[in-house]
Amino acid sequence: MSAATTAHKDPKLPPPLDLPEGPEWVAALKLFDAHTAETLVAAARTLYPHDGLPERVYRRTVAHFDAMASKAPGAAQAFAEFVDLVDGALPLIFRELSEGYRVQVLKGLEASTAFRLVQRSCVRFLYDDVEVWQAFGYEGASVHLGGYVNRGFNDLDWLPDPPPGV
Amino acid sequence: MTAYELDDDGVIVIIGSGAGGGTLANELAQRGVKVVLLEAGRHLTAEDFVNDEWGGYEMLSWLDKRTSSGTWRVAKDHPLTPSWSCQVVGGTTTHWSACCYRFIADELRARTVYGDIPGTTLIDWPITLDELNPYYDLAEAKMGVTRTNGLPGLPPNNNFKVMYAGARALGLNVSTGRHAINTIPYDGRPATIQDGFTITGDKTGSRWSTLNVEIPKGLATGKLELRSQARAVLIEHDAAGKASAVVYVDGAGLTHRQKARAVVLAGNCVESSRLLLHSKSARFPDGLANGHGHVGRHYLRHLIQTVWSTFDKPVHMHRGEIMGGMIDDFVRHDPSRGFAGGYYIEMNSMGLPTTAAFMDPGWWGRDFASVIEQYSKMAGIFMSGEDMPQADNRITLTDELDAFGVPVANIHYDDHPNDLKLRSHGYKVLTSIHKAAGAKRSVEAPAYPASHNLGSNRMSARPEDGVLDGHGQAWEVPNLFIADGSNFATGGACNPTLTIVALAIRQADFMAGQMAAGEL
Ligand SMILES: Cc1cc2nc3c(=O)[nH]c(=O)nc-3n(C[C@H](O)[C@H](O)[C@H](O)COP(=O)(O)OP(=O)(O)OC[C@H]3O[C@@H](n4cnc5c(N)ncnc54)[C@H](O)[C@@H]3O)c2cc1C
Repeated sequence: MSAATTAHKDPKLPPPLDLPEGPEWVAALKLFDAHTAETLVAAARTLYPHDGLPERVYRRTVAHFDAMASKAPGAAQAFAEFVDLVDGALPLIFRELSEGYRVQVLKGLEASTAFRLVQRSCVRFLYDDVEVWQAFGYEGASVHLGGYVNRGFNDLDWLPDPPPGV
Repeated sequence: MTAYELDDDGVIVIIGSGAGGGTLANELAQRGVKVVLLEAGRHLTAEDFVNDEWGGYEMLSWLDKRTSSGTWRVAKDHPLTPSWSCQVVGGTTTHWSACCYRFIADELRARTVYGDIPGTTLIDWPITLDELNPYYDLAEAKMGVTRTNGLPGLPPNNNFKVMYAGARALGLNVSTGRHAINTIPYDGRPATIQDGFTITGDKTGSRWSTLNVEIPKGLATGKLELRSQARAVLIEHDAAGKASAVVYVDGAGLTHRQKARAVVLAGNCVESSRLLLHSKSARFPDGLANGHGHVGRHYLRHLIQTVWSTFDKPVHMHRGEIMGGMIDDFVRHDPSRGFAGGYYIEMNSMGLPTTAAFMDPGWWGRDFASVIEQYSKMAGIFMSGEDMPQADNRITLTDELDAFGVPVANIHYDDHPNDLKLRSHGYKVLTSIHKAAGAKRSVEAPAYPASHNLGSNRMSARPEDGVLDGHGQAWEVPNLFIADGSNFATGGACNPTLTIVALAIRQADFMAGQMAAGEL
């Protein structure tokens, strides 16, 4: 993790979703009920387990799923199906399972379209979250700050500098 | 603003405003030729662009549905978006990362040099490097390619320092390469500020595109009319079998018919083959220019892949121009390597969002998480190699119609054994370069959706081997031309755009000459 960098979203883009902290975050969703939302958060954490990341980044990811679902009935159906599948796989519902069992359940569903939608959408939104950028050292938008020409585009110092004009 | 009448049959109609079409439009306009340029996408400006990988992707990309089949990994990872290009004025030149390399002489004689490789449909190009070189010179000058015309190369960035250290340790010939990106002000455009966002439109204009160079220059002649949000859906012909008009749908959904003296397709390979196949008639029952059945066949996409490696210390690969590194030791055909053709090694960097998405789509769990968490200590290295033409690697029409009533295209691609051998060789070399620079772990990322789409309306010395002659003129329809990469006879190894531009300039010379001679 890189402390020296600051992540920026392009100022033209809408600001990150501002969800309430705590369990009442689900009230901000358009379509998902609490169980659906919390199950998807558990799935997102199991798929992309970054122990250093706070719960809210996974919640924001699921809030994006919710926005997708409220625009596309097909997606809404697939998310609902995903929750049914993961809850039905073992004698305990998915979000009460230990991580090892959750991994086992997800492995068993890899071929399904519902799994694919959840997995791909997780990648799409989780790693597009500016708090995740900050945590992993991706600085993002730069033109509004003058690019990187004076902000470290060639500051790597643990290898010899190539000769001029190479 | 110049505006031509729909029934003006003296205009050249060009479909697509990207590398091929945008360049040809300007080159013809400079020669006094009347041009209507139809572009499906919107006319955006630098103001509209964002410094954001997904925001830019969604703003610029061709997102209409396609389907895919075959053994290529893309059919599994990206089944409905197998090919990657843009739908916007400027086409994929609003998005490209501007590596500019020339074909070598052997690549233009692929069949002769590589021999008879089973399963392939290799041919020699109908033109030689000597014929092409003067146009490469013109293309490099107009695009402001670094290390040509006295323009300095890109300065090394962090990712390059890693590539350089590894390559030198292995004795390879490495430089920052050649790019259509200004390192000093050139042609009224500024030097790069190393923002790292050429792929989302390039807000500063330091990189050449048809949007910021060719189209404005063409419009300034008063000879070019650009119609954006104009989606060509059919090419019509007259009783003599010559192309006579293009039917298109405008942004309001209204259908128009633009008459034409000649028609040029430049829709980026898949779309050009799709339109030809769709433009069927009693006279051309299998589609226009398809008398020998080659339209859509011999589709190529280059052997493109990246290795991402993690190091002990920070790299910050996202800072600066993304592809400023090149190694040319493996370009030449060398049978002792066990495969035909060669590849360029180049640098690659992506932001966190797309590194995560493309590193290995479908990979999840603690192992993936432990790699992607190292983003700030990650370097990327890439290759573009020659794939083998095969008759059945092809674009076809499906039964499903798009919103404009045109059948959705399917792209079928089976990997040839030669492709696999070249890929495997490349992965080993890419990994060894990073290892030599101290990589802890290297990940072989698969090909992302096809970004170098080539060959599906190929030129050939004999009409029975292809669709076009050496000027990109259809064998079967003399006033129909192709100006995009689908006209390549074979793919070569290098990124294709410089060659697309050089061929378009050459085509403009030819067309203007034919018009002056009363033959077009
Ligand atoms: C991520 C990425 C990086 C790249 N980097 C490089 C690089 O470093 N070097 C390099 O050489 N190449 C690079 N390329 C490839 C390069 O962008 C393409 O080879 C080049 O732009 C192709 O030119 P074209 O004229 O064939 O098509 P395009 O530039 O794609 O233009 C085609 C245009 O036609 C329009 N069109 C299509 N159908 C219709 C229709 N029916 N009616 C109206 N308009 C239509 C499209 O909207 C589009 O604007 C890159 C590509 C990608 C995706």
